[in-house]
Amino acid sequence: MMPAFVWLILVLVLAAPLVYLGGHVGRLRQLVANATSVEWETDPPNHLSQWLALGALAVAWIPFTLAARASDAAFALGTLALRFDGIALLLSALALGLGTLVAIFSGAYLRGEKQTEKFFALLLVMVGVMIGLGAARDLFNLWVWFEALAVASYMLVAFQRDERASLEAGVKYLVQSAAGSVMILLGIALVLAQAGTLDLEELGARLVTADSNLLFAALALFVIGFGVKAALVPLHTWLPDAHAHAPSGISAMLSGVVIEAGLIAMLRVMLPLIPHLQGQGNRVAVLFLVFGAINLLAGNLLALRQTEVKRLLAFSSVAQVGYIVFGLGITFWSGQGVGAQGAFFHLLNHGLMKGLAFLAAGALLFALRAGLPRHAPLTISDLAGAARRYPVIAFAFSIALLGLGGLPPLAGFMSKWQIFVAGVDAGNIWIDVLVVFAALNSVLSLAYYAPLVNAMYRGNVSPLVARGTPVPRAMVVPLVVLAVGVVVVGVAPNVLDWLTQPASAALLHSLGY
Amino acid sequence: MNLSPLDTAIFLVLGLFGVGFYALLIVRHLIKLVIALQILVKAAVVALAAAGAASGKLELGASLALSVIVVDTVVAVVALALALQVRKHFGTLDVSELGTLRG
Amino acid sequence: MLAGELTVLTIALPWFGALCIWLGGNKAPRLTERAAVAFSVFAALASGALIPFATNQVVLRIPVGGVFGEFTFVPDGLGILLACIATGIGSLAVIFSLDSMRGEKELARYYALVLLFIGAMAGLVLTGSLLLLFFFWELVAFCSYALISFHNDDPKAVAGGIKALVITQIGGVGLAVGVLLTYAQLGSYEFDALLRHSAQMPREILGIIAFGFLLAALAKSAQVPFHTWLPDAMEAPTPVSALIHAATMVNAGIYLLARFYPAFVNVPAWTTTVMAIGMLSALLAALMALTANDLKRVLAYSTISQLGYMVFAVGVGATLASQFHLLSHAVFKALLFLAAGAVIHLTGTRALAQLGGLSERMPFVRNAFVLGALALAGVPLLNGFWSKELILEAGAQNAGMAAFILLLFGVSITALYATRVTWLVFWAPPRETNKVASSNGHSRPKEIGDAPRAMRIALGVLVGATFTSWLLIGGVSEMFARTLTLANVHVLTLFEMMAEIFLTPLTWIALGAVGFGVWLWTARERFANVRASWQFVTRAAENSFGFEWLNAQVVRATMGAAARLRVTQTGQLNWNMVGIVGGFVLVLAVLMMRW
Repeated sequence: MMPAFVWLILVLVLAAPLVYLGGHVGRLRQLVANATSVEWETDPPNHLSQWLALGALAVAWIPFTLAARASDAAFALGTLALRFDGIALLLSALALGLGTLVAIFSGAYLRGEKQTEKFFALLLVMVGVMIGLGAARDLFNLWVWFEALAVASYMLVAFQRDERASLEAGVKYLVQSAAGSVMILLGIALVLAQAGTLDLEELGARLVTADSNLLFAALALFVIGFGVKAALVPLHTWLPDAHAHAPSGISAMLSGVVIEAGLIAMLRVMLPLIPHLQGQGNRVAVLFLVFGAINLLAGNLLALRQTEVKRLLAFSSVAQVGYIVFGLGITFWSGQGVGAQGAFFHLLNHGLMKGLAFLAAGALLFALRAGLPRHAPLTISDLAGAARRYPVIAFAFSIALLGLGGLPPLAGFMSKWQIFVAGVDAGNIWIDVLVVFAALNSVLSLAYYAPLVNAMYRGNVSPLVARGTPVPRAMVVPLVVLAVGVVVVGVAPNVLDWLTQPASAALLHSLGY
Repeated sequence: MNLSPLDTAIFLVLGLFGVGFYALLIVRHLIKLVIALQILVKAAVVALAAAGAASGKLELGASLALSVIVVDTVVAVVALALALQVRKHFGTLDVSELGTLRG
Repeated sequence: MLAGELTVLTIALPWFGALCIWLGGNKAPRLTERAAVAFSVFAALASGALIPFATNQVVLRIPVGGVFGEFTFVPDGLGILLACIATGIGSLAVIFSLDSMRGEKELARYYALVLLFIGAMAGLVLTGSLLLLFFFWELVAFCSYALISFHNDDPKAVAGGIKALVITQIGGVGLAVGVLLTYAQLGSYEFDALLRHSAQMPREILGIIAFGFLLAALAKSAQVPFHTWLPDAMEAPTPVSALIHAATMVNAGIYLLARFYPAFVNVPAWTTTVMAIGMLSALLAALMALTANDLKRVLAYSTISQLGYMVFAVGVGATLASQFHLLSHAVFKALLFLAAGAVIHLTGTRALAQLGGLSERMPFVRNAFVLGALALAGVPLLNGFWSKELILEAGAQNAGMAAFILLLFGVSITALYATRVTWLVFWAPPRETNKVASSNGHSRPKEIGDAPRAMRIALGVLVGATFTSWLLIGGVSEMFARTLTLANVHVLTLFEMMAEIFLTPLTWIALGAVGFGVWLWTARERFANVRASWQFVTRAAENSFGFEWLNAQVVRATMGAAARLRVTQTGQLNWNMVGIVGGFVLVLAVLMMRW
């Protein structure tokens, strides 16, 4: 019998073509009905594919619940090898949760766009493939999942394909990401040459006699290859374009889960290698700590003077990835699970907060776009007085931003705190210095989050807000859900322990502790 | 100078990688960029096949190489589709024209 | 146990009120106002009712688990005193706001934030967990930001708010590091753990913790060199200034130092640093108050200066004196700010040059302000006199004569600037016409009259407290002695205090200093040429002794770095590939090089 998590992947991936066809059926019906009358300027509203997608996501929660209970299920079929451990559980919970909310949000958001059935089908693929990526236990399988995720992402970023900015973002994303992907392949070849296997669980035993220089080369290839997707500085250059010019629901997915999926894939492939570096494993820790620090500073400084809302949020993602990488680096250094648990905690919280931020920005973009030239970016000054007309959206957005800035009692504070505790516990003076550095960066980030919040609560209403249209309830509900989540996690940080603890345990296990 | 097949493969891989990345750094034509990516993928294909051979898992290496070719075709198709749209909306395939998003 | 419930009520009542008011929106301003007054007054009553239950035991324990430990609450004497100040003065500020904020837009946001602020401050002083302390510490900073920027269409208000936020948060990093190190060493966030086991910690770790906490306290309490945010925070509505200066925010730093003094007293150079910074702040800020030309700025600098005295007192180990002065200061500074708020509200300006001659027009406000100024100067029988004398005495005993003489210098300047500002506002003729009456959110210059009713109530209560709050010394000292076992506080009854103060010659010297300061103002014409020769001090004081410049440099450097870094984001695909290839080479080098 197939374990539940395989059903989870199957439901999502197999539903995608149905969703796509469903959209066509709906359109055909309407074309027939209107055959004699006027030509549609844009495609007719296409609800069928959204409902099918929502149905598939709703069904997917059943195998997810089952999979969450059955710990460490494994599955193998031919060359396909999967194992649903703690890390996979964490990633699938985040992907499925955020994916569902994005699907609810996007129906109304995409009103007037062409071919929305493609959007929903690709969204399902994205979620399903991401779960597969999390569960892959074979290096090459993992690359295939990763590539599938990448292709879905390219197509979604460039979804508004008559839009120049989206196209430009899509092209950059594709070329940079594909270059990274080739590096991963070369790394895989190196590992294969050394170990003769690509099974992530057998690798460890086979690498005992490996040449550590070649392993270092493989590691460097993996770090850069996956690092492009995970937006490590200086590989992050595609991110602000892609995240700012994708449809907002996809921005939420990209920032909230996809870059984190890249990071998790990187972890997966690196972990079996680290114990075999002839006592030089600490170099990987140093690498992570340094990348964390660079991401923090560069992300924050780049965000500091942005005037476009979504671009600012995109750069803030670069900074937030820094915290996650920093937390992982601490665990690599100390071998204590607290840092990794904090990193996974922050990964989840960042998914909630950044997902919320992008969806809220999207809702405001939706409301104000009547006054904007088509697909023009939303700037901070456009938001002036938004709280007057859209109090719920503005409040939810503020919660997301303040949470990202690390204000208690919101989620972001708690996970950052956990990472800091781990850092100080590691008992190394340089890590202590980095903790101070990270905390100062948190302060720096307030210098761009606070003005954004402030703009929304201004008394003088911007002309765009004055002319804004109402926002449908289906777009507000996901915001409220996420905002409540951010507050609840902040007040009771242990509610996510069921996800973060198994994940950090799985990480330590792979490291050989 | 006698080169074993493995050495030849290594030199081939390194050469293709060098060419591919060098092209990515200097080429501005989108289609040429896609070609450069293809060169890189071919390097990876050779590397995987050679790695399979080197570790005594010839078949594994070969099947991986084939799978890569298949998967990468999809990427190439998406890339070319994007290039088509770029041509349509920007009127050029010069990626230096695609520099509106900056700072 | 009732103490637990009362503790929760003190924090939760204002927060619940804030939630209700926020959800209620701006539809019914009268109802909003009433709810705000009710919730804040009830919170004050709850904190007052907590007094008999003062204890050094944990009354409420919420296990959170993991690295977050337990959230605990310990309402001891120090905490209850500060909580009473926060909620009591806080509710007076709310009552005052009824008049001063009437007709403003977005009252719901205003009152919700004020209540959140009050509740957060109460939580900060009542908790027994270091993590929760930091929690509330950050929340207080956020509230102050949001309230300073309340008039958020005014770029100056927004800039002032962000400045306050960033500077206090930078200090907050010190607190965070201290808390993290404590947890790493002791595995606990309990105050008691740090206080009792500080001696067992490695010396250098304890040193970092001690100076981290000091950094946080200095930033929060606006001490040199972090004081620059406080004058800029004057863009806030005046009741908020009163709240920040008297009830919440700046008191948090003094509280933190007093609370953990027993743990850090043996850290080398710590007490000396505390004393030195307190003294420096007291003197420099007094000089700046003397030269400031904005009514609220004078008061802001005066706060920094008075806080300097408190910091100094903590440094010499006079916990009781510092907290007693904190109480007196809270009362008379709230009085001064609210009276100044009435002046500003009624005239529409706060530039000293445009004020003046108001003595006849608003006798009630004048009397209140004069009383506050007298208490600030340390004139006998008002609360400021007693607590300041206690600090001077402790300084003379524990820090030597040189310190005492410097303090006396500060006392004289305090008397001088208090006289000056009172004179300029109420008696001197206005030197400029009021051109900007429509700024600061006021619609138009009003017919100038005396304070309306709600303002009078708030001011009246504070006038009463200025006369009487010193009578509480017996109760406060008893509560401290009973619950702060490590702080070495002795019970000091009212009569003991009076006897002590009247019998020591120091008091009479200090009074002479006060008199000298007042005399200096009356004789200012005679000293015109002396003033001219002191011009460089004046000019330095006007420029905030260079700290403002330093501040601007840091901001400019950060902004410049941000601008320069943006250049790297060229948007060119080939350049982006350079990042990838270069990154690979670097990573490979880091991993493979010998090191």
